[in-house]
Amino acid sequence: MHLLEVENLTKRFGGLTAVNNVSFHVDEGEIVGIIGPNGAGKTTLFHLLSGFLKPDSGTMKFKGENIIGIAPHEIVNKGIARTFQVVRPFRHLPVIANVMVALCSPRGNRKIEWIKTIERKAMDMLENVGLTELMLEPAENIGHGDLKRLEMARALATEPDLLMLDEPFGGLNPLETDFLTKSIQRIHLDHPTRGIVIVEHKLYALMKIVKRVIVLHEGEKIAEGKPEEISKNKKVIEVYMGKAM
Amino acid sequence: MVTTYLRRLYSSFAAHVFDIPPRMLALMLFLLLAFLPLIGLPSTIVTILTGANVLAIFAASWDLLVGRTGQISLGHAIFFGIGTYGTGLLFYHLGHPLWITIPLSLLIGVGASLLIGFPCLRVKGHYLALVTLAFPIILIGLILYFRAFTLGDFGIWNLPTYFPFLPYAVRETAEYYLTLFLLFVSAVTLYKVANSKTGIVFVSILDDELASKASGINVTTYKMMGFAISGFFATLAGSVNAHLIANGRVASIASLRISLSFFVIIYTIFGGIGTIYGPIVGVYILEILDKYVFTQVLSVPSSYRLLGYSVLVIAFIILWRGRGVARFVTDKLEDFEEARDIDERGPRIWKTYKKEGKKIGVIARMRARLKK
Repeated sequence: MHLLEVENLTKRFGGLTAVNNVSFHVDEGEIVGIIGPNGAGKTTLFHLLSGFLKPDSGTMKFKGENIIGIAPHEIVNKGIARTFQVVRPFRHLPVIANVMVALCSPRGNRKIEWIKTIERKAMDMLENVGLTELMLEPAENIGHGDLKRLEMARALATEPDLLMLDEPFGGLNPLETDFLTKSIQRIHLDHPTRGIVIVEHKLYALMKIVKRVIVLHEGEKIAEGKPEEISKNKKVIEVYMGKAM
Repeated sequence: MVTTYLRRLYSSFAAHVFDIPPRMLALMLFLLLAFLPLIGLPSTIVTILTGANVLAIFAASWDLLVGRTGQISLGHAIFFGIGTYGTGLLFYHLGHPLWITIPLSLLIGVGASLLIGFPCLRVKGHYLALVTLAFPIILIGLILYFRAFTLGDFGIWNLPTYFPFLPYAVRETAEYYLTLFLLFVSAVTLYKVANSKTGIVFVSILDDELASKASGINVTTYKMMGFAISGFFATLAGSVNAHLIANGRVASIASLRISLSFFVIIYTIFGGIGTIYGPIVGVYILEILDKYVFTQVLSVPSSYRLLGYSVLVIAFIILWRGRGVARFVTDKLEDFEEARDIDERGPRIWKTYKKEGKKIGVIARMRARLKK
């Protein structure tokens, strides 16, 4: 049984078919990349998977259980956590409290812990992504790269079985990209059964991490395979670079 | 099973102090208020302060709903009115004593706040403000329409008094202490809730609802919880107020007036929104200013009173950049104690960590500073 199984997923916005008949699966402990040019439907696919949008047709199964029509927060509590392409921190709350919110959710707080324990757990999580120094700073005061890492810490706080990262490298400089790559790899090593899905534009950074790549173009899946295969795939090159004259 | 449930319930609201609460300051304020009647204040001032105690409960409950949860309510008087009419009608029709009618009206208030909260889940921001604005107006309409049941605009007079066994001379003072005690309990409870796990989730909903959902938070439940807690304390203020001698022991549609809904906003913004203790301070300052300084000391004509009041309030809100008098004072005390190193517009939450987990009251730190 696959961890996540998506079959014939379709989403239309009026006349535009954002996601068209997409099928794929993610296994336990697998890192899957989803790439595609702008407007390929990557983020829509993410919204569908996390319950923010409802698909028009198709099936989505998580651990063999249907997850279509389930509220976003319930999907998180089933074990799918996501980050956002455009960061969405809780701006009034300090960095540490941003993580504590996720720790207060039913899944993050399964043992019903006291607020002091939660606080300590949040500190540990921030240490994992290297934000200990900025712990008390209000989230509105910290930089974009740090916010990206904060988003990841918040998603990890619910101990998801499937982690979905929406453009984690977007807007990061090479140094930050490198750091984030290492954190993702460490997350993978720490929890070998956790599946990770990454949507990304920066192919160079992505190809180093993932084991399998799915290519979307205009809402359709056009290729799937190992990173080396994909980078040689004619159709993919065509989509990204344009047709040879 | 029951213990797990109780543990879950208690741990959801158990607070941990994040804010530097001016705990010493708050305690001193309460002690001051407790000793005030002893120095032989004229009964007019005691009356004003009794009213202020009740309004402070009301303002703090508004602050929890709006300042923390972000559910803008422009019609908070609905809860005040439900409290007033709940206890009034129970007395009028069933003749129950007030120690039955007040708790019952609190139950009605929580039920009503859930009923009101339910349609409010559908709307956000400005639309929510407009929807909530309509509720007290609807209730006024209903009360005037069902005249036979509610006595309409005549109101329900001669509600039972709190201390019928005490001599007349000390009844008002006794009521002052009663309301002060209720204010103390309400303020501590609201402050604890605002700084508990639940309180953090409340602020996360204020900040970004979508991100809260993505963190696994059931936003609906928490919004309803916010409405219920806030509604409970607002109803408490309303039902306690109805029986006060200072209020004339009457349940009338004045308890649903629009200006009450707006004054609570003024108190809160003036005092410092989102702090819980801010609105309480705001109520005392503005009530004493309006009802004592302007009316009795300066004897300003009533038409100019509101003008002067408004100008002062606006001036101070601008001067403190909307942070309120409570934050202004605590900031000053902190500035005195240490050079500020974070952006001064940033919230004053979680500052305690800077002291390596040690929580030191402001006054204690001031003393330490003076010793150096």
